[in-house]
Amino acid sequence: MFKKFGAVCVLAGSFTATTVCAVEVDASLKDYKKAAGVEGSLKSIGSDTLNNVMTLWAEGFAKEYPNVKVEIEGKGSGTAPPALIAGTAQFGPMSRPMKGVEMDDFEKKYGYKPTGMRVAVDALAVFVHKDNPIKCLSLAQVDAIFSKSRKHGGKQDLKTWGQLGMTGEWAARPISMYGRNSASGTYGYFKEVVLAEGDYKDSVKEQPGSSAVVQAIASDKYAIGYSGVGYKTADVRSVPISANDGGTCFDSTAENAYAGEYPITRFLYVYLNKKPGAKLEPLRAEFAKFVLSKQGQTGVVKDGYFPIPSAVVSEDLKALELSY
Amino acid sequence: MGVINETARDNQAPVARGAAIRRTDMRARGEPALWVLGGALALGIAMIAGFLALVAWNGVMTFIPKPIDVVTEIDGTVTAGEPFREELFRPTAEALAALTPDWQQRIAAADGYASRTLYRTGNFDIYGEDFRWIPDFNVTKRERPANFLFVERLEWGPFVGSIKSVTIDGMERPINSLDDPGFVAAHRASRERWKQANAIEKDDIGAINHQLEAARLELRGVQLNSGRDSAEYRQAQERLEAAAAVQRANYDKLAAQVEELRRLNDGNTVTFVAVGGEEKTEEMAHLVRFYPANALSLGGKLSVYFSRWGEFLGDEPREANTEGGVLPAIFGTAAMTLLMVIAVAPFGVITALYLREYAKQGRLVSIVRISVNNLAGVPSIVYGVFGLGFFAYALGGSIDALFYPERLPNPTFGTGGLLWSALTLALLTVPVVIVATEEALAAVPRSMREGSIACGASKWQTIRSIVLPRAMPGIMTGIILAMARGAGEVAPLMLVGVVKLAPELPVDGLFPFVHLERSFMHLGFHIYDVGFQSRNAEAGKPMVFVTTMLLISLIFVMNVVAIVIRNRLRRKFVGSQF
Repeated sequence: MFKKFGAVCVLAGSFTATTVCAVEVDASLKDYKKAAGVEGSLKSIGSDTLNNVMTLWAEGFAKEYPNVKVEIEGKGSGTAPPALIAGTAQFGPMSRPMKGVEMDDFEKKYGYKPTGMRVAVDALAVFVHKDNPIKCLSLAQVDAIFSKSRKHGGKQDLKTWGQLGMTGEWAARPISMYGRNSASGTYGYFKEVVLAEGDYKDSVKEQPGSSAVVQAIASDKYAIGYSGVGYKTADVRSVPISANDGGTCFDSTAENAYAGEYPITRFLYVYLNKKPGAKLEPLRAEFAKFVLSKQGQTGVVKDGYFPIPSAVVSEDLKALELSY
Repeated sequence: MGVINETARDNQAPVARGAAIRRTDMRARGEPALWVLGGALALGIAMIAGFLALVAWNGVMTFIPKPIDVVTEIDGTVTAGEPFREELFRPTAEALAALTPDWQQRIAAADGYASRTLYRTGNFDIYGEDFRWIPDFNVTKRERPANFLFVERLEWGPFVGSIKSVTIDGMERPINSLDDPGFVAAHRASRERWKQANAIEKDDIGAINHQLEAARLELRGVQLNSGRDSAEYRQAQERLEAAAAVQRANYDKLAAQVEELRRLNDGNTVTFVAVGGEEKTEEMAHLVRFYPANALSLGGKLSVYFSRWGEFLGDEPREANTEGGVLPAIFGTAAMTLLMVIAVAPFGVITALYLREYAKQGRLVSIVRISVNNLAGVPSIVYGVFGLGFFAYALGGSIDALFYPERLPNPTFGTGGLLWSALTLALLTVPVVIVATEEALAAVPRSMREGSIACGASKWQTIRSIVLPRAMPGIMTGIILAMARGAGEVAPLMLVGVVKLAPELPVDGLFPFVHLERSFMHLGFHIYDVGFQSRNAEAGKPMVFVTTMLLISLIFVMNVVAIVIRNRLRRKFVGSQF
């Protein structure tokens, strides 16, 4: 899914001991250049994962074009396709690719499929409390913690930290699980990749937002939960994950995400209604270009996600029949 | 013997009687119940006071400038940041083994607990994180250098570091102190220009956009009415194109002005250096405020504190609502609540009047009453779903199809907005007003109505001039309760019109001035958004407290105003009591 891509990680002088570094935008991405004749208003309805980034893009875009008004609503990825179909929104941010059914509904009305652009890379991190010493988890173990179906072939249901090889005060402690509510794209993606479409345990505590998951883990020492890596705070730690039992564990860093080593990595999308062969009108075209520019991708970094490499950008620009 | 018996009985009797009296007394006075009730009241008050104190304390403390610690750890790592909070924790066995015997002893003496401090390091653009925990046993040196600044920027959150160099009008200048007049003036001028550019963009260019949009809609309207090939369409097109060309020329002029202001600002920059030596150059216009955290006098602290409050109350949010102010949310909350009161008051009062004064009391009226009371118990999110389905989609959709066909498929009223939110909340709170009004009407003495009717007044005249004025204080109580309930409600609003970022206020200087169809921001939703949705939960937490305090104060102020009005009304009628 991901081509090998060298992320630039500047190790700050005195921070050599820690892995602290800021993710940087692909240097070969183009600067955004203001175009003439852009005016009107835009509305975006969709993912709450992308809500903050959309807001940052809207703020940045409004700075370039003070005559454009952008309105944002983020209630979950599932709200994007109906809004695009009804035409109430020009952009539909989604934290998962559109499902076949949603595509078909769209096609039924317009006669063609909606076009998606990949706008950010998100590594879904498995978070534990900062004092939790666990070194590594395999996908099958995470599956056995969160799922009652254990489709990844975990032999036993994992209920206590002791079953994961932890000793001392941890051994007898039950694992307390936190996750997202079912309207969220994050919930769906975790279910698809980690649970292999199995079912969540009933004891997973569903939270109303990604940041709520992190806060819950911060205040519960024996907790585990999943959320976008961008929501990490100093109170939680992301656990390195291996794809196979006994395989190498990779942390949710930008490099591992780009290299495809970190197994729970996904693209975040923005969908729009584009007739094949026809050019986008200036307003939407410029917003799309802004999102895929250096400025737009800086917004992605600001919100804690990973920017997309320029190879992907040029692919998507081609699909949208846009050029810088 | 008999005598003794007599005396004994005499002696005993009063005692026994006294005990019996005391027992009945206790029950009669209801003392056990009194204790239970008093205790419950005290507990309730303590809980409310505790909650308010918690919110107020955190809210008041948030904006106080904190010092900056520069901490050196055993491995040589240097961190600079505001100490945010401390906690006790149990270090792992490995961590303990690596410590000096001195520390091992100290931790063992504290039952295995050590303390650590969370530092707000800022500099998210350099480090990729804004907070760090540092255990005390790792610290070798802790200093508070006077030259370290806490810099609040427009983007990327705060910066912690010191000034390396300053460039004014493209020339690098030596700066000896932060109070250097040239530097202060340059910073002020940059900020002024930035504000000016923003004002041009928002007001002047906003007005041009509005007219361009109106022209586009008018043309679309002509197209819908008479078709694309008609003479009317071509005429309208020519006329509007000409008008639009003028507007666009104006826009170009204003845009050039903004460009010029921005260009002037480009020359004024400050280069900061973080504790690890990383440099960062920022435009002066993007520095909201900066202060030497460790060398701040009391006056300086106060000025930072109040300037932060000023920004919070009077500015628009920045950086996806995590920074800046909440003015649009304050405005939205107040506007929505007032609109709700305007909708709920007549509706509730008329219903109650009919039920109490006109309707024949019978089974039907009882059923209606029970239904109204039950309405008060329906979960608020259900009202939200109803508001979305009925008001926004059904009613708003029809309004759009009838009156705004040129705007379709973009909905005008066919989506959540201020009006639908106010009406949904009015539905939610109408039972409160009905019940309170009915009680108030029932409390008006029968003698007064009879007196009025005996003087020859009709039923409506009696209600208007005798019953309603007397019941007014009670009705006001109902409206106050409804207002308090409505202003604090968030769940239904998320469905019918509250958004994270509304680009425009629902009231502005453009015709028709009040835009009821616009979506708006709300303090309650802002709390939810900052608390549960923002990237940086740690930095968001204090803002949650501040916003909560603000919402509570807003409701408090609105209630006080209503109570003052009610007391005025009461006083007006106190003299005319029979």
